[in-house]
Amino acid sequence: MDLDLLQRFAIGEIDAFEALTRQFQGEIYAWIVRIVRDSGAAEDLTLETLWRIYRARHQFRPDGNFGAWARRIATNLAIDHLRRKRPEEGLMTEPAGAPPPDPLVQQETRTKIQMEFRGLPAKLQMAATLALIEEQPYEEIADALGTSVGAVKLRVFRAVRILRKRLNRLGIKPA
Amino acid sequence: MTEDDGRKMRDALKKSFPPFNTELRRDLWPQILRRLQDRPARMPWYDWALVGLSAVMFLAFPRLILVLAYHL
Repeated sequence: MDLDLLQRFAIGEIDAFEALTRQFQGEIYAWIVRIVRDSGAAEDLTLETLWRIYRARHQFRPDGNFGAWARRIATNLAIDHLRRKRPEEGLMTEPAGAPPPDPLVQQETRTKIQMEFRGLPAKLQMAATLALIEEQPYEEIADALGTSVGAVKLRVFRAVRILRKRLNRLGIKPA
Repeated sequence: MTEDDGRKMRDALKKSFPPFNTELRRDLWPQILRRLQDRPARMPWYDWALVGLSAVMFLAFPRLILVLAYHL
């Protein structure tokens, strides 16, 4: 990463911020949309992330990792979004062009699994989304959350345990 | 939780949440720039301190207003 660019960004040069925005906006969006699974909300959250990055530019150390710092800010915003979002809303965000339902997992079951998953505490939901659905490396998730790999694994474990309990109560056993 | 249970849950989740398009469809810089331009100009704290100090001085020594007016 260009140290001069980061130094210019840290002192508030708009040109440097523009270059960083263009370089990282796609990466930030991709990270957020994996968590919130809603393209509109992810775009808004990406904008907010970039805005916060600019406002917090004085706290950034130019010899640090800009991408990791941006991802941490994005992750916090995405978690706040999951906290605010009601589980029912998640059902409306089926991605366009999604493949037809798998015959093994019927539509109704999928809907129930989605709903129960959306009802998990935000931090558990986020860790499980990134680790199990998006299959992101645990190290990357831990870095974005500012925690350890062990803590992420524990969150995923707890998410799966809670989800299994809730699904069992509904008579659903993942096969 | 056995490894097999974990795998089953992961498979069920992957089927319930199909892959999502992660590509950003437009450049967000124009919106950021608009936001930067719309930002109201903020007065730094030391300007406020100077205004406050001047007000106190003028209240305590009203004749200073005449001195200031003479020098302006």
